Amino acid sequence: MNHLRLRRPSTRTLLYLGAALLALQAAFPFLWMVSTSFKPPAEVFAQPPSFIPQDPTWDNFHRLFTATGFLVYFKNSLIVSGLAVLLTMVVSAAGAYSLTRYRYLGREKIAGLILCTYMFAPIMVVIPFFILVKKAGIENTHFALVLAFTSFCLPFTLWLMRAFFATIPLELEEAALVDGAGRLRALIYVVLPLALPGVIATSIFTFILAWNDYIFTRILITSDELKTLPVGVQDLFHSALIDWGLIMAAGMMITIPALLFFLLIRGWGAGGVKG
Amino acid sequence: MTGLSYPEPKPEKPSGARPRPESNPAGASAPRRGWIPATTPERHQQLWGLLTIAPALFLILALTLYPVAYSLWLSLLEKHSFFPQERFIGLENYFYLWKDEEFWTSLWLGTVYSIWTIFFQIVLGVAAALILNETFVGRGLVRAIVLFPYMIPTIVAVILWKWLLNDTYGVVNYWLLAFGIMRDPISWLGADHIMLSVIVMSVWQFFPFVLLSILARLQTIPPELYEAAKVDGASAVRRFIHVTLPQIRGILFVVILLRSIWMFTKFDTVWLMGEGAGAGRFIRTLPVYAYMRTLTYYQAGLGAALAVIMFAILVVCTVVYFRMFREEADIG
Repeated sequence: MNHLRLRRPSTRTLLYLGAALLALQAAFPFLWMVSTSFKPPAEVFAQPPSFIPQDPTWDNFHRLFTATGFLVYFKNSLIVSGLAVLLTMVVSAAGAYSLTRYRYLGREKIAGLILCTYMFAPIMVVIPFFILVKKAGIENTHFALVLAFTSFCLPFTLWLMRAFFATIPLELEEAALVDGAGRLRALIYVVLPLALPGVIATSIFTFILAWNDYIFTRILITSDELKTLPVGVQDLFHSALIDWGLIMAAGMMITIPALLFFLLIRGWGAGGVKG
Repeated sequence: MTGLSYPEPKPEKPSGARPRPESNPAGASAPRRGWIPATTPERHQQLWGLLTIAPALFLILALTLYPVAYSLWLSLLEKHSFFPQERFIGLENYFYLWKDEEFWTSLWLGTVYSIWTIFFQIVLGVAAALILNETFVGRGLVRAIVLFPYMIPTIVAVILWKWLLNDTYGVVNYWLLAFGIMRDPISWLGADHIMLSVIVMSVWQFFPFVLLSILARLQTIPPELYEAAKVDGASAVRRFIHVTLPQIRGILFVVILLRSIWMFTKFDTVWLMGEGAGAGRFIRTLPVYAYMRTLTYYQAGLGAALAVIMFAILVVCTVVYFRMFREEADIG
């Protein structure tokens, strides 16, 4: 795989230097956040800054959990992301099954149309969406949020699932059908297990998108007890004096679940995350 | 060192799909192979096919396409964002925007922001992909770490950078002063530097997407091509221009298109950086302006008109882009 064939040691050194810089630029801001979140208030503002907390404390986390609505936001984020994953899974599995297993008029047109909507950016959809949601009387509900995330993920997840379904030999399914299983049973016991990487990639993609979303939640949710993490944490900024230790602790807590999910990806579909 | 396996990212063309039966011209009337069960009557196929795609189609139609179409109508109305009254005013919103200085400023700022962020994302992304395509100790780990900025929520990226760039306590100013590069601390989120700051931060956040896409393609280039070039005595630079570049043209075409669409319509990063910074109006790009018209001034009609204009600009640019690079479009 040694494409550029690095012969001179200086080129080799440059390569390692480049790689180190790449790792550092990505990791440093995060490490700095971790460091700040464990510092007591006085040390947060110390000059020169200390890179390893001299006097590490859980105080910021303690205040985050007790003095702010963080746990409520966390719960909301979990509920909304979880439901979005579930709904997206069911709808895109059914759709992918349809696109790979049935023959009907306009099938490819439908598939193309759905993919096209992948081009729509949130800001173009969210303004009319907001007005329509108000007209339907479901503004300020998690339901509206789950619908928004699902429809937003669908173009990508449907195509991903379709690609995975298409690789599963139909003979296996036929065998199940011959043995007397219904189509639904064949789907659940034969197709889905074989398409497991696709199922996982789809769920992770949807989860991260829902977990990270800011704009839909900002616009569709108005009451504090329904807010998800990104919007809830942004509102911590509104206090007169910014409590950086607290904010950094919150930042860490939002990042961890997204990172855990990301580690699960191990390559599947990571490139499709929209942003 | 297991590392991540980098698949072909598939935003537009799932690569795992095997050729669909349609692409086989033979046997148009006979029951085609690959359909189960092959004996099911046509009508049955139609019914179940449509029934199973219906939920997905309904959601897309009702929650994406209908809202986008509705915004065309909404842009012709004078409508308060929270009250139900609305009044048809024709193209008045567009006439208003034509004479609105803030609109032109936001268009300009949005263009500046998009061009610089796209340019640096592509350059850095390709360079980083070339580095990570080499073999070295710890490659798997570095490949995993570099994706981090792209995976975290935007709000986290923003608070990280606001803290790094804080004018009094930020570590960036501390270093610049400590190393004697600057005499006085710089107000990174002030009027003069906020555009630079948001561009740097956006490049940091989004270039991993380019890296991921290009690296996936680099891994599929047959090594023989490089061997042949080396036998001919081509230097590393020439090998990049004559071997690598032609190979990544197709994916580069798609990546530049996607990134351009997403940067031009980028809302959350820009809005969150500008909000509370005092100098927010110096990075009030088109998407931010559309949001503000709708939710700060409650003029939903004007907000929708801005969204429609944004959409129109994107469509025109996409068409021009495809015309200019027709060749790459075919490869991609």
